[in-house]
Amino acid sequence: MSGLSIGGSQLDTSWFLVLSAILFTIGTVGVLIRRNPLVILICIELMLNAVNLTLIAFSRQLLNLEGQLFALMSITVAAAEAVVGLAILVDIFRVRDVEDIDELSELKG
Amino acid sequence: MAIAVFFVAAAIAVAGAIGVVTFRQPIRSVLSLVVVMIGLSILFLLLSAQFLFVAQIIVYAGAVMVLFLFVIALLGPAREIARSRLRFQTWLSALFVLALLGLIWAMLQGIQYRTPDKADLSIFGTVQSIGIGLFTTYLYPFELTSILLLVAAIGAIYLSRKKVDDL
Repeated sequence: MSGLSIGGSQLDTSWFLVLSAILFTIGTVGVLIRRNPLVILICIELMLNAVNLTLIAFSRQLLNLEGQLFALMSITVAAAEAVVGLAILVDIFRVRDVEDIDELSELKG
Repeated sequence: MAIAVFFVAAAIAVAGAIGVVTFRQPIRSVLSLVVVMIGLSILFLLLSAQFLFVAQIIVYAGAVMVLFLFVIALLGPAREIARSRLRFQTWLSALFVLALLGLIWAMLQGIQYRTPDKADLSIFGTVQSIGIGLFTTYLYPFELTSILLLVAAIGAIYLSRKKVDDL
């Protein structure tokens, strides 16, 4: 029961889920291997977008609008996260240049 | 036709995502992310989410990405050095990510699809139906997001203000 009839052609919900999984994994790779804090934020945005695709695919599969409303909330939260994250970065860069996120280790976390 | 659109949009999105991770200059990463957003928004349209298609283009590809570009222009386009303090970090990440992909894959195999609710596809996902959902059943979460945005705006202004008073 996972077929989607769109414009006369037969698609499958699992295609969208697999694409979303691939995008999420690429985003995870970026967070793990990149050193620039700005690029890490960009990769987090990529992961959030991949999850949005899952929500909307299931919303269409179940013909239930709640998934789309949740994706809308998630877009709002992602925008807020980007704003605060970038503000923190600008504040850090004002004190010194950070080329590598590992340089920010004063908290010994 | 829809199948071709799906595969073209998916290829655009995956190519953009690989670009985000591999480009050395942050500004190119941001522009690749815009490509991903456009690919994904085409898929949203395919899944009859018209309103989210527009929101994705305006809010993400428009506003958030311009914000990233402004910050990169402000901080200077530093090239990234490919060295790492932790040894084997790339290999460890590759191992971790493969495990993650396997986990998600296993999870996808176990999905059992429920029969869809009855819904009229001609109004599904339009601005009207989204608005009805947002302002009736989900009014309370909707109002909460406005508080969230207000707090984020105040926080950003507080963090990035000039510190004239060195208390």
